[in-house]
Amino acid sequence: MNIIYLLIPLSLLLLSLAVWAFFWAVRNNQFDDLETPALDVLEDEDDVRKRRSSRQAAGSGENSTADEDRE
Amino acid sequence: MSETSCFHCGEPVPPGVELSVEIDGEARPMCCSGCRAVATLIHESGLGRYYDFRDRLPERPEADRAGDYLAWDRDAVLDYHATAPGADRRSIVLVLENVHCAACAWLVNHYLSGFPGVAESRLDVGDGRLRLTFDPAATPLSQLAAALDRLGYPPHLDTPDSGVERDRNERHRMLRYLMVSALGMMQVMSYALAKYIGAFQGMDAQTEEFFRLISMLVAVPVALYAGQPFYRSALRHLMQRHLGIDVPVAAALLIALFSSVLITLFGEGEVYFDSVVMFLFFLLLGRFAVMVARQRSGAVHSALARALPDQARRVTDRGTETVGVVELAAGDRVLVGDGEVVPADGRVVEGRGRVDESLLSGESEPRGRVPGDAVLAGSLVAGGSLTVRIEAVGQATVISGIIELLSEARRRRPRLALLADRAAGIFIAVILASSVVAGVAWGLHDPSRVIPITLAMLVVACPCALALGTPTALAAATRSLAEQGVLTANPDALEALPDITHVMLDKTGTLTEPRMAIVDVRAAQPDRALAVAAALERASAHPIASAFRTHDDGRPVIDADSVAGAGVSAEIDGRRWWLGRADWVAGMAGHAIEVPAEGIWIALASHDPASIATFGIDSRLRRGARELVAGLEQAGIEVHLASGDRAVNVRRIAEQLGIEHAEAGMSPQDKLARVAELQAQGARVAMVGDGINDAPVLAGADIAIALAEGAAIARTQADLVATGRDLRPLVDLFRRAPKVRRVIRQNLTWALTYNISALPLAAVGLVPPWAAAIGMSASSLAVVLNAQRLGRRTVPARGAASMAAGETAPGAA
Repeated sequence: MNIIYLLIPLSLLLLSLAVWAFFWAVRNNQFDDLETPALDVLEDEDDVRKRRSSRQAAGSGENSTADEDRE
Repeated sequence: MSETSCFHCGEPVPPGVELSVEIDGEARPMCCSGCRAVATLIHESGLGRYYDFRDRLPERPEADRAGDYLAWDRDAVLDYHATAPGADRRSIVLVLENVHCAACAWLVNHYLSGFPGVAESRLDVGDGRLRLTFDPAATPLSQLAAALDRLGYPPHLDTPDSGVERDRNERHRMLRYLMVSALGMMQVMSYALAKYIGAFQGMDAQTEEFFRLISMLVAVPVALYAGQPFYRSALRHLMQRHLGIDVPVAAALLIALFSSVLITLFGEGEVYFDSVVMFLFFLLLGRFAVMVARQRSGAVHSALARALPDQARRVTDRGTETVGVVELAAGDRVLVGDGEVVPADGRVVEGRGRVDESLLSGESEPRGRVPGDAVLAGSLVAGGSLTVRIEAVGQATVISGIIELLSEARRRRPRLALLADRAAGIFIAVILASSVVAGVAWGLHDPSRVIPITLAMLVVACPCALALGTPTALAAATRSLAEQGVLTANPDALEALPDITHVMLDKTGTLTEPRMAIVDVRAAQPDRALAVAAALERASAHPIASAFRTHDDGRPVIDADSVAGAGVSAEIDGRRWWLGRADWVAGMAGHAIEVPAEGIWIALASHDPASIATFGIDSRLRRGARELVAGLEQAGIEVHLASGDRAVNVRRIAEQLGIEHAEAGMSPQDKLARVAELQAQGARVAMVGDGINDAPVLAGADIAIALAEGAAIARTQADLVATGRDLRPLVDLFRRAPKVRRVIRQNLTWALTYNISALPLAAVGLVPPWAAAIGMSASSLAVVLNAQRLGRRTVPARGAASMAAGETAPGAA
């Protein structure tokens, strides 16, 4: 049973890690939009590529899009 | 339904309309040219998946009405509304109309991010706010705004001092509290479980001590950090010298926490760290849900954004220039064209036309204005064109005055929760006092038992069940009401609803649809007459024109001409047609045309006498209006109709619905005075309204119910918001309210009975702390389970199909 004296403090370490990760996520607005990102995975890769190439031909070559703009 | 419905907006395709767009190799039917334009745009942008993603149907887009937003590129406008996070970057918040579901946000974000220079585009589905960061040199704001408009989401500028940031910070803070308490709860519960199992299987004292210490190590920081909202609020209440609901909550949390700490460090016995964090978590969960609902129901700061235009045409010596409304000053002259909204209060100096003030006064029919007459910001010019000399801008306008009136009414609002607060305050005072008395008594008698007994008393008397009784019941009711289309911004209102004796209803936009509709057609060939009229109305910006839009089959129109205050004329199918006021049409076409004296009638004719057609136009009753009035009267509630509209219109609607008490021509002040008068006679008044003119009344009523379709400012005042276009969910709301109250009463009775009967037992030492803990948990559980009964659905939720279909069903004819 002595192993708990090691494992439980370890679990506390994990807990503080989880809290830190969560605070980071809140600070970086990860919880601001809980709805649209769920739709992104349903999109076909082909559509995205097609859209990007057609837009870039029309635009000035700016390649920053909302699909990947999270720092 | 056998008829075809529009692929884009889901409304039935009117007979004779044959529009389609090819999507995924199939010709999809469209109901009007507006839908066709938007569907084509979506498809050509490669965003066709929108149709797979959406779970709600969009509004039908306005055909060919993409406005121009040129003034939005002016430096004065950008400096006022936008921030500049970088040298070539601007960051701005826009308020979009028609945002319904996640697919809307997906569509907007992806569409905008394809424009050069757009660095960030994030749309919040809840409040329709779009945060946009872009490079004005690469794509001007006017282009982005016009693109949004074409897509069916007309944008508006938000006021710069908006509370968006504040809302977001509050949400982030609550999320952190909630998550910390959830993680802490899971940890402490697992330690507690180990201890409980250990108690049966045998656990050595050292291990038990270790579990206690480790529980304390987790629970103390969690409770101190995540409990902050309660401690702060309790402190604020105490400093104001009254015992708010947060005082007993904070006291229970802190007492349980510190007695457990003392026991862990010095004494022996049970600790209650697990109860503390679990209690905290459930409390926070309730608070979080209320906060989300409140933020979603809209906020005061965007109220003006939708009511006023963002730009105006200023008349200068060298013609007109388009400027932002923020640039206008008293003394400027602005040109307001047909279908445009007056940007500021002023006086007509040139031109004549009809002005629709329904949003401000509830008057349903536009009134004529000639030079010298005053016009108000927020009213719509319907027919004609005016040059206005501005007399008041911004805060000095009448519309701002209404908002001022509103904040005053809000301060006067009766506080419903006050009584419950006071009861809880007395209860907690009794518990604290009796614990101290018992502790002192036992200290004289048998000092070794002081701590276990005082603790047992505190735990047994812990107002957990008492504190949970109301919020859990309200949360369950809130959730199931939301499924049926009623959002609860202020849960206390549900509890107070059964006390309502009077309901005051607004007419324009509440009992009737906000838009005009054709209720009668008299013609030899009705279908053809409607199609021709619809084609003609394309040239008109008059509000009545929208009534014809569903009948537009896209037939070509040549040489269209609009005559202010009279009607429109154009050449269609090789013939000249006139549509408008009956006497004008009669004169132009050269026939005698008769229309009934009552109601609004417009005529259509060509030179051929057989072509004469007349259309009866009226604002149609909203669906569910009859059921609402009947349901309320059945429940013994007195129904009042208070409208700013003219007596004829009000009387007609009152007769149709069987409302006895109807008053016409009431200003916001009159309505507010009427509510105050009823309240002075001891009545509890609920107000249902939608317009800016209803907002002060909503704020002054005991319970305010607004329609989501209405003005944003009305929603901000509302305790409850009906989200659909149907009034029937409100009937259900009133039917359910007594049940909510019954469950709350059961919960409180049970909790009080338990606490009061267990307290003396604990005081005389008959309840060991472990039994007290079980009792407390069991009583809380009973309360929570009882509350869940309210979550059960009694009426099937409205489906998207029925929502779209009812639109064309004939209402009041």
